Amino acid sequence: MGTELPAEARAQVFVVMAAYNEAACLEAVVGEVRALYPHVVVVDDGSSDDTFAAACRSASYALRHAVNRGQGAALQTGIDFALREGAGFIVTFDADGQHRVEDISGLVEPILTGECDITLGSRFLGGHVDMPRLRRLVLRGAVLFTRMVSQVRLTDAHNGFRGFSRRAAARVNITLDRMAHASELIDQIRHSGFPYREVPVQIRYTEYSLAKGQSARGAFRIVFDYLMRRLVE
Amino acid sequence: MNPSLFQIIALCGLAVLVVVTVLGTVRGSIGRRDAVLWLSIWIAAGVAIAWPKLTAKIARLLGIGRGTDLVLYCAVVIMLVGFLMVYARLRQLRRELTLVVRHVAIENAFRAKPPTAPSEPNTTVAATPDPPRNG
Repeated sequence: MGTELPAEARAQVFVVMAAYNEAACLEAVVGEVRALYPHVVVVDDGSSDDTFAAACRSASYALRHAVNRGQGAALQTGIDFALREGAGFIVTFDADGQHRVEDISGLVEPILTGECDITLGSRFLGGHVDMPRLRRLVLRGAVLFTRMVSQVRLTDAHNGFRGFSRRAAARVNITLDRMAHASELIDQIRHSGFPYREVPVQIRYTEYSLAKGQSARGAFRIVFDYLMRRLVE
Repeated sequence: MNPSLFQIIALCGLAVLVVVTVLGTVRGSIGRRDAVLWLSIWIAAGVAIAWPKLTAKIARLLGIGRGTDLVLYCAVVIMLVGFLMVYARLRQLRRELTLVVRHVAIENAFRAKPPTAPSEPNTTVAATPDPPRNG
């Protein structure tokens, strides 16, 4: 890991970011990714600030949701678009700068070598993690919740850093618009039968990304959205 | 027996609702099927108010203490079912809205000028027109 992918492989990677009111740091994050990966798709999820203008200045492709539809919806838009543009690999990356560009190659490599079709970034696989205690507790809860309802054993259930082969991305269809898409996605990954594995990634917990991240209250909303889908549909 | 004040007011109110529903149906602002549903609700309510002993009889038949309890239980169940139906419809609408928003976003995707040479990113910025704002 940490080895750089050959340029022709990188040219097939589409890095998809969903951005909601991220104007402050979007350009820096996109610029960092784009220095290595030529295809960066930013989906502005109906932000009320200048996120879309920042996306147009920095990203290779900027898409805009006319109204806010939630992170799950924005990621699916980016994935649909990337597939249309002929992406060979798709990596979802958080726009708030909590993911590291160096970790993208680790997510793509197992797919490139044919080892699996889906890679899931895990902040708990890679040894020491510096994070606030409440955040850790909520994430542990998410892992347990996923084990219970999806019967998938993961070390990190709600990490937005993921890699997909083209065929796996084409199969994914996120219907839960808000944050519960992470649980939904894991269900779909299990049902799709595509081989997947977790890959250690590091998360940069900055003041900014913590403020933008999920609160403990958000966790209840995730559980509600997810369970209601199972109940109603 | 003399009707109570409550019975008079409630029955008058229901009569108005029946008239409004019938007029709405004739004018076409209420669908036939909806009209049947509403009218049966108004009539059932009217019967229960005019002859309170009737609900008490049915309640006793079902082993429920009072007629008002029977009405209350029915109302709660109907409202819960109604809530779930509205919620399912709301979800469907949100889903459809997302699909429309996605379609528009993909059709109007903004592309930076390819290929972008990493050494001169500033030219791309200069060439970027003002992004369309549709919010």
